[in-house]
Amino acid sequence: MVCIMKFDNEKCGYCGACTSVCPNSSLELTENKLIIETDKCDDCKRCSIVCPLGAFLEVEGN
Amino acid sequence: MKYDVIVVGGRIGGSVSSLFASKNDLDVLMIEKQPEIGVPLQCAEATSEETFQTIGIKPSNRYICSEIHGAELHSPDGNHFRMYPHNDEIGYILDRKVFDKSIAIQSAKAGTDIMVKTTVKDLIIREGKVKGVIAKHLGRTMEIEADLVIAADGVGSNVARMAGIDTLFGTKDIGSCVQYKMVGMDVDPNLMQIYFGNEIAPGGYVWIFPNEDGVTNVGVGIRNHKKTAYHYLNKFLSNFEATPVEMNIGGVPLSGTVDKTYTDGLLVVGDAAGHVDPLTGGGIHLTVICAKIAGEVAAEAIKGEDISAEFLKRYEERWNDKVGNVIKKSLKYRKVLDKLNDKELNALAKFMKGRDLDSITSASLLGLVKESPSLVRHLKDII
Ligand SMILES: Cc1cc2nc3c(=O)[nH]c(=O)nc-3n(C[C@H](O)[C@H](O)[C@H](O)COP(=O)(O)OP(=O)(O)OC[C@H]3O[C@@H](n4cnc5c(N)ncnc54)[C@H](O)[C@@H]3O)c2cc1C
Ligand code: SF4
Ligand code: SF4
Repeated sequence: MVCIMKFDNEKCGYCGACTSVCPNSSLELTENKLIIETDKCDDCKRCSIVCPLGAFLEVEGN
Repeated sequence: MKYDVIVVGGRIGGSVSSLFASKNDLDVLMIEKQPEIGVPLQCAEATSEETFQTIGIKPSNRYICSEIHGAELHSPDGNHFRMYPHNDEIGYILDRKVFDKSIAIQSAKAGTDIMVKTTVKDLIIREGKVKGVIAKHLGRTMEIEADLVIAADGVGSNVARMAGIDTLFGTKDIGSCVQYKMVGMDVDPNLMQIYFGNEIAPGGYVWIFPNEDGVTNVGVGIRNHKKTAYHYLNKFLSNFEATPVEMNIGGVPLSGTVDKTYTDGLLVVGDAAGHVDPLTGGGIHLTVICAKIAGEVAAEAIKGEDISAEFLKRYEERWNDKVGNVIKKSLKYRKVLDKLNDKELNALAKFMKGRDLDSITSASLLGLVKESPSLVRHLKDII
């Protein structure tokens, strides 16, 4: 699987909204860091829809 | 290390569960990943008297910021109407950082051990039964055994998923929220202000809740939209001369409860279970009710030496008896509200002046037929 979601850590507020919708458990929120396991991500973009701060950026192409 | 019960998450769901488990003489450990319970704030802090009644405490000035007597609801065209609770029930705006911690302190006084800045990374599962947790504190990993685990780890709950419970929410079901605590908003200190409109907050609303001493909680929740909650909040605030002193971010589950809230050796409580009113996004009072039941059922299970799913099913039956119907009814209302365009919202606001949701009858809807027949069609679904 190829992950083309790009994540901007500086825009993240560590709220956990994205982890609640990730179907592949690719996202783990620690106390102050969001860890993305890119090999588990299938690029469904659900995380980017619920992020209150727009921390996920879509990157053109594969 | 072995406990009767481990509670994961130390905010309201975790603190109330552990309080009632400890009050019932269990050995309880509560684990919170943040260094401070209640921080960061992810809430607009409004709740009702019921919250205190359920826990069995009197509201304290240490965490009550203001008393709320009603709400002013604003439609997209700028019209507004007021709603007051049926039985003059008073609402409160809390200081949740103080409130959640004060319940954790009560729980500790009742005997709960608490670990902060400790994250549950995995569950110990033996022969299909949850038997404890694997937790990490300052780089040190430890296995802690327990007969029962209560997952009160919030909307992004990984703990329930580790036990095979499906707590995945749809993107349409998550309220994506941003809030500022602001100075400079001039509002009635005893009224909540709510603004609806597809240009203001698609799939949700903007709130202004009077906090103490000239501070207000101003936030927005939206659903399933390309633009962010942050965008909508700043757009709304561009009409006001006010400045933030704090920013809070969060997701709130608005789909009703998850399909199953128990399994062998584990219960799920609060946001992790979807114990939130799908219309208002209010979860404090419902979480408290369900968490109390979780603590009590945990005690029955440990004393009866039966932590099987078959036994723990009574947890779900009991919370369903108490709050299941409220959640289902609110979900029905929310689904109707989802369908309304701004014109229909305007007509609804005009119609609702002097009424409450429960007083809408088929007969009263006749008055609306001429103005907005499409609204009448939508409202018929909730009568
Ligand atoms: C912006 C916003 C506004 C809201 N406004 C209101 C309101 O005005 N009124 C109302 O009634 N409700 C409101 N809600 C909903 C309310 O905040 C929640 O329903 C309530 O906080 C749920 O409590 P909880 O204990 O289940 O979960 P949470 O409050 O989310 O607490 C979960 C805790 O678990 C911890 N945790 C998570 N994972 C782990 C782990 N692996 N190990 C250890 N600890 C972990 C977290 O750090 C956190 O402290 C709002 C929600 C949001 C997002
Ligand atoms: S794109 Fe989909 S699979 Fe990948 S992290 Fe986001 S929600 Fe998870
Ligand atoms: S939803 Fe956005 S702000 Fe919240 S944890 Fe995920 S990336 Fe960060």
